[in-house]
Amino acid sequence: MSSLSTSLQIALSGLMAEQGALETTTNNVANINTAGYSRQVPDLVTRDPIVEDSLTFGSGVDLQKIESIRDPILASQIQQETQTQGQWNALVSALAQTQGNFSTTAGDIGTAISNFFDSLNQLSTSPTDLSLRQNVLTATANVANAFNTAANRLTSQRTNLDASVEQAIGQVNQLTAQIARLNRQISNLENVGESAGTFVDQRTQLIDQLSAQIDVSVIPTDNTLTLTTATGTPLVAGEQSFALSTQLDASGVLHIFSQSRDISSAIVSGQLGGLLEARDQQIPNLQSQLDTLASGLANAVNGVQAAGFDLNGNSGSNLFTPPPASGAAASLSVSLTDPAGIAASSDGIAGSNGNMEAMYALRNQGIVSGQTPTDYYSSIVFNVGNAAANANSQQSASTLVLQQLNDQRSSVSGVSLDQEAANMMRYQQAYAASAQVISTINSMMQTVISMKAS
Amino acid sequence: MRVNPNPLTDLLAAVAQTQQQINTDLEQIATGQRINCPADDPAGATMLVRIAGKTAESDQFLRSASGLSGEMQNADSTLSSVVTDLQRAISLGTEGASSTVNASDRAALAGELQGLQSQLVSLANFSYQGNFVFAGTATQTAPYVLDSTSSSGVRYVGNSNVNVVTVGDHLSVQANLPGSQLFSSAGADVFQSIQDLITGLSTGSNIDVALSAVSQAYDHINAQRVFYGNAINQLNAQQTFLNTETTQLAEQQNNVGGADLSKVISDLVNAQTSRQATLEAIAQTQQTNLFNYIK
Repeated sequence: MSSLSTSLQIALSGLMAEQGALETTTNNVANINTAGYSRQVPDLVTRDPIVEDSLTFGSGVDLQKIESIRDPILASQIQQETQTQGQWNALVSALAQTQGNFSTTAGDIGTAISNFFDSLNQLSTSPTDLSLRQNVLTATANVANAFNTAANRLTSQRTNLDASVEQAIGQVNQLTAQIARLNRQISNLENVGESAGTFVDQRTQLIDQLSAQIDVSVIPTDNTLTLTTATGTPLVAGEQSFALSTQLDASGVLHIFSQSRDISSAIVSGQLGGLLEARDQQIPNLQSQLDTLASGLANAVNGVQAAGFDLNGNSGSNLFTPPPASGAAASLSVSLTDPAGIAASSDGIAGSNGNMEAMYALRNQGIVSGQTPTDYYSSIVFNVGNAAANANSQQSASTLVLQQLNDQRSSVSGVSLDQEAANMMRYQQAYAASAQVISTINSMMQTVISMKAS
Repeated sequence: MRVNPNPLTDLLAAVAQTQQQINTDLEQIATGQRINCPADDPAGATMLVRIAGKTAESDQFLRSASGLSGEMQNADSTLSSVVTDLQRAISLGTEGASSTVNASDRAALAGELQGLQSQLVSLANFSYQGNFVFAGTATQTAPYVLDSTSSSGVRYVGNSNVNVVTVGDHLSVQANLPGSQLFSSAGADVFQSIQDLITGLSTGSNIDVALSAVSQAYDHINAQRVFYGNAINQLNAQQTFLNTETTQLAEQQNNVGGADLSKVISDLVNAQTSRQATLEAIAQTQQTNLFNYIK
């Protein structure tokens, strides 16, 4: 049987539901600038009706739960793209530094090689001139310096990349530990049927950050998540996280270990993927190309030296210290100190320039892997420029994709102030209406009470 | 459809992109170069390396050619003095061969010839910037030394080697003629013929034979001078060519690497306009929402 007190209960349920709904709006507005926050909507449901004979009476409204609005597919796409972007970001900044060594300046390798051959041609016009011979020695030293500088910069860049790797690993470990903690909180809440929306937002945010560092694949399990790298190295399993560690190898290069397994070459994306690609592939490639150029040039020059005679009629000795098999560019140095030692002569007489001509001819001979020194150097410039340009455009593309995905995520999960204002008005009006109903019921009750009293 | 309620990050990304464009344009304007690092245009940067190498090479060839040309002009003018001396020797010899001169006249002529001979020795020992140019490759010592035991009165201590200098792609020029080829050539030996003429004048016999030998030497030197004339012409032509090539290379360098300033500046203006417009749009659209209207 319906009664005034039942009506009062119904009106009260309206008041409370609207108040709760208003709270979600307040919370949404408060979190409008919170990173990773997904907007929440109140889930209002009708209370079970009361059936009396042929009549069915409604019994009010309940705020059943507060739901966070998000799209898990989008979230996973964003994580994927964040990994790609992290990789290109790292490569772009590494290669921007690398290519600095190969811009045309007064002291770059290409210019030094040109100047060296120029000095040979000049000496050829007057092979006994000591100042021209000194010029050749100076130009030779400049070639060696240019190689040393470029090679040393590349080596120290690798060392610097190691520092970045170390930092990134630290961040990965911190993030996985946090994710594991959140996993516990989320499963605790969800096990008792509570909404863990905010924690899930936080976790998604942390996984995004983790994706920027390393390749992550997310495997949802009951109420929790397992994270591994793309190649299956575990990072987080439920409430447990697995820290990565680092160790220097014999050559001073940092390796990454997961539970004593070396996974350095198994990391393919994220910032770590980019850092490792620059450190272990791009830069070593360049180094070995520089080594090829340095040793090709030095050996060819030394070979011609040996075939000629110096100013005193002696057989020519090495102009460059014979370079070692590896690290030729870094260790290239001038062996000759006496300008008279340059073997310009081909007949053993001081005034002959025949051997200088032979040495000059190296300029246009395929002495470096079948290419002339300048052509080989220019192909190194192409390789480094091409790698950097490719990384730049990949980074732009990835940034664009990520921006679109974030845009989509925001269109699903972002807080709209207009929407919240409209909701606030709705909830406020509904609240006022329920209050008015209560006041009406109150006056009806007064009527009933005053009836008895009279 | 719900749209992104907070487009600010997108807008800021657009602003950052135009800012990037502005930075690139400014760098190009500041350096005048379109390619400021290899990544700006890898293929172009490669070409620039080659063009720079080629330019340095051409510049060097120019220096070498002009230095060589100077040396050869000096050698040639020395030979021209040799020719003058030989002419004088011939006229002295002709005078001595005449039946009207007596022994004391001939002795006087022989005396002048001796003076000429020592002059010729010093000409053959001509040195340019410390190098004896007629000594073959033995440029550090004077090629002709006086030697009374030699029938010609001198001895050649140079060699018969020549130097060749590269002054262009596939272009090398011979830089010297050795004395053995110039002054001591068999059948046209300058010093032998002069010595014979001196002896002839002193003794009064075989003057005609000696005179014709001097004539042959004279013809030979003249013929050899053609080598220097040709080489100097060749070097001059090569310098003209190298100057043209250097200009062309500079033009090529500019075509590949130079910034198209009018385009860059118009890009810059566009980017600035677009940046301003975006900023204004942000400022305008982000000011209001429904909350502003709830009273």
